[in-house]
Amino acid sequence: MLIFRKPLENVERPQMPADVVIVGGGPAGMACALRLSQLIDQHNVAQPDAPLSKENIYVLEKAREVGQHCLSGALLDPRSMRELLPGFEKEAPLDAEVTKESVYFLTEKGKLKFPVTPPPLRDHGNYVISINRFVKWLGSKVEETGITVFTGFAGSELLYGLDGDGNRVTGVRTDDKGVDKENQQKSNFEPGYDLQAKVVILAEGTRGSLTKQLISKFDLTRNSNPQTWGQGVKELWEVPSGRVAPGEVIYTMGWPLTSKEYGGAWIYGSKDNVVSLGFVTGLDYPDPRLDPQKVLQDFKQHPFVAKLLEGGKMIRYGAKSLPYGGWWALPPLAGDGWMIVGDSAGFLNSARLKGIHLAIKSGMLAAETAFEALKKDDSSAATLGAFQKNVEASWIKDELWKVRNMHQGFEHGFYAGMFHTGLQMFTGGRGLHNRYPSKAGYEHMKKLAELPPDGGGEAHLLGPAKGDGKLTFDKLTDLYHSGTKHEEDQPAHLVIRDTDICNTRCVKEFGSPCQNFCPANVYEMVEDTTQLNGKRISLNPSNCVHCKTCDIIDPYQIITWVPPEGGGGPNYDGM
Amino acid sequence: MKILVCMKQVPQKDAPLKLNESGTWIREDVSYEVNEPDAFALEESLRQKEKHGGEVVVITSGPARAQQVLREALAKGADRAIHLEDNAFVGLDAFNTARAFAAAIKDEQFDLIFTGLQSDDYGYAQTGVVLAELLGWPHATIIMHIEKNDAGIRVKRELEAGYFQYVDMPLPAVLTIQSGINKLRYATLIGIKQAKNKPLRKVTLAEVQSAIGANLQKIERLYVPQKTKNTEFLEGPPAEVAKKLVDKLRNEVRVL
Repeated sequence: MLIFRKPLENVERPQMPADVVIVGGGPAGMACALRLSQLIDQHNVAQPDAPLSKENIYVLEKAREVGQHCLSGALLDPRSMRELLPGFEKEAPLDAEVTKESVYFLTEKGKLKFPVTPPPLRDHGNYVISINRFVKWLGSKVEETGITVFTGFAGSELLYGLDGDGNRVTGVRTDDKGVDKENQQKSNFEPGYDLQAKVVILAEGTRGSLTKQLISKFDLTRNSNPQTWGQGVKELWEVPSGRVAPGEVIYTMGWPLTSKEYGGAWIYGSKDNVVSLGFVTGLDYPDPRLDPQKVLQDFKQHPFVAKLLEGGKMIRYGAKSLPYGGWWALPPLAGDGWMIVGDSAGFLNSARLKGIHLAIKSGMLAAETAFEALKKDDSSAATLGAFQKNVEASWIKDELWKVRNMHQGFEHGFYAGMFHTGLQMFTGGRGLHNRYPSKAGYEHMKKLAELPPDGGGEAHLLGPAKGDGKLTFDKLTDLYHSGTKHEEDQPAHLVIRDTDICNTRCVKEFGSPCQNFCPANVYEMVEDTTQLNGKRISLNPSNCVHCKTCDIIDPYQIITWVPPEGGGGPNYDGM
Repeated sequence: MKILVCMKQVPQKDAPLKLNESGTWIREDVSYEVNEPDAFALEESLRQKEKHGGEVVVITSGPARAQQVLREALAKGADRAIHLEDNAFVGLDAFNTARAFAAAIKDEQFDLIFTGLQSDDYGYAQTGVVLAELLGWPHATIIMHIEKNDAGIRVKRELEAGYFQYVDMPLPAVLTIQSGINKLRYATLIGIKQAKNKPLRKVTLAEVQSAIGANLQKIERLYVPQKTKNTEFLEGPPAEVAKKLVDKLRNEVRVL
């Protein structure tokens, strides 16, 4: 019997007043905190008789340490950082400046180099970074300002106003700690706090769990395109010197994916012969047996890639979903008491495969609006709505508007996608329509009965990967390199609304794709003779790398990812 | 009771370690955490304080990053902290670390000093014991329980094979605490916030330099164990193979 995590009821919770609570200490959240502090400092110099305090501004971060749950390629477009901290290059941990980029189309054994790098993938002037180290550094800047970063604390629920119509966000409840597998209090139980906040800024990253609650409560995305995601699976390698120069960037399209899947790979040369490589597979693929971790393993076996890695050593592994629905998939960005920034909103440029600079910029703009709200002591939608307008007036919109139809163009496969992308490039992003429609990714998944039993042309993408232990790895070996750790004695944080669907319908209709799309072996169908189909869903929540893929792509939409006890999760040191 | 807890920041247990260039220690680019037995020592000190009143002071040595250990302790309820801050402290052996601690606390009057049983990185299990000797105090190791009484304390020590030893001791004393003696508490938001305003005294290397000398222990070389795998086929009729197998298991592998 699976028991799922939920905030305990009938518990007296400590209350803590807050001016601003930023949920999530990634690039967006940290940039937001930093900008807010700058504005308050300037204000306090200008108006010493009416100072604003930073005492009650908090950042909640579910990782045990800042940056440990951050995962990206990563390339940093410095535009927003230059606005936030002019001259930041001198002190930020930047591993290499991009000096060379190339784009290839791969066939099974061959490769075709694009004669010209497509403009969106021209990365000169960007930096290869470890997002983990970069955010750690940003976090230390935030700590210096006097703003408190609570590491090891997740936002588990939003609080809504009891007065009036209850439609106002009034704060955040943090996770209950010391709850056992049966949802009972342990002797060291600590109830989650109710942070009563004037302004809540959701900077949770991809598929934020509070963001999801908020969107669903107010049906916020009724006028947006459905958000679409990819799953990025990354490995960090140490390779013999001379293989990939620091600052060298390689993108590939094609193999191992076929024309039916969306996605591609990156290879970035960092310092000290470290190479970051990864594969993003669109979470809108048709075959439920596809395994994105296997896709990366296939990719590494391509002669071009295998040669770069030969004699090297895989040192870290990680996986994370990324939103690339773009401009039309953004939810409204602000309302009564709340704003949404970064990946939680979907600020990612899918043509450039970059979102860090947009996350930072959106965090900064939200800080400017939060600052106005503090000054006026009014955080109603009327005040916070300025954030929406400011985003629309900023270069975020300029950048995203040009690629607003990019991903939708690929809805009907690779070749249609290339056609639309080409067309959109010449029409300022418009293509055939000002707004291309799209379907949610999970709706593209087909039932086994509609697919060739052996996978047909996709056979090589279907999991699980076996791994040779040198170039390729099975999932558990990879997972070990993610440094993932959780308190074992706690309820499952992968909340399945109805496990009967898993055991009776999904196993037959889709063949339990959770076993394939999860990059961390969390889901397992175990033998159970009492079940109609002889199998039962079982969970290994401690393996979870917090990628949120299950929450996104499960075809019945019955899985909700909620934060486990704060402090647990992967450890993406150096990633 | 006034209790000092000696705490250490160590590489995280599951962190992939890389050797430094001279092969004498690991590279510093790993994540760190509180040495596990030290966390239990801190918890025990907080429980003693809750029962008997007094003060809990935490001390550590190491570079700036080590301060994290103290902040966590302050957030959980320690009253103040002492940080011997210098990268050079990382290279000290147990004897010198104890001497540096003794020098840093020479003006304090503690009833008890707790250390973890041993550190998860070096694993010397010496610093607490040496510190007791330097102070001229009694000590007891591998502590599983502490009870205060009129004469001093009664402690339970873990021995081998499920045996325990009970010892009555006078105060002041040094105890090295075993992991699992209690259940660790979580830091709370209010605790973390209040910790920012708790006193943290920094001690420089220069202040304790005169107390320490040359290291008496040092690591010559650190290396990753070579994994080797040998497969041997035993051939012959089953009875003979079984005999050979038993012989190998008994005399070569020594598991029988």
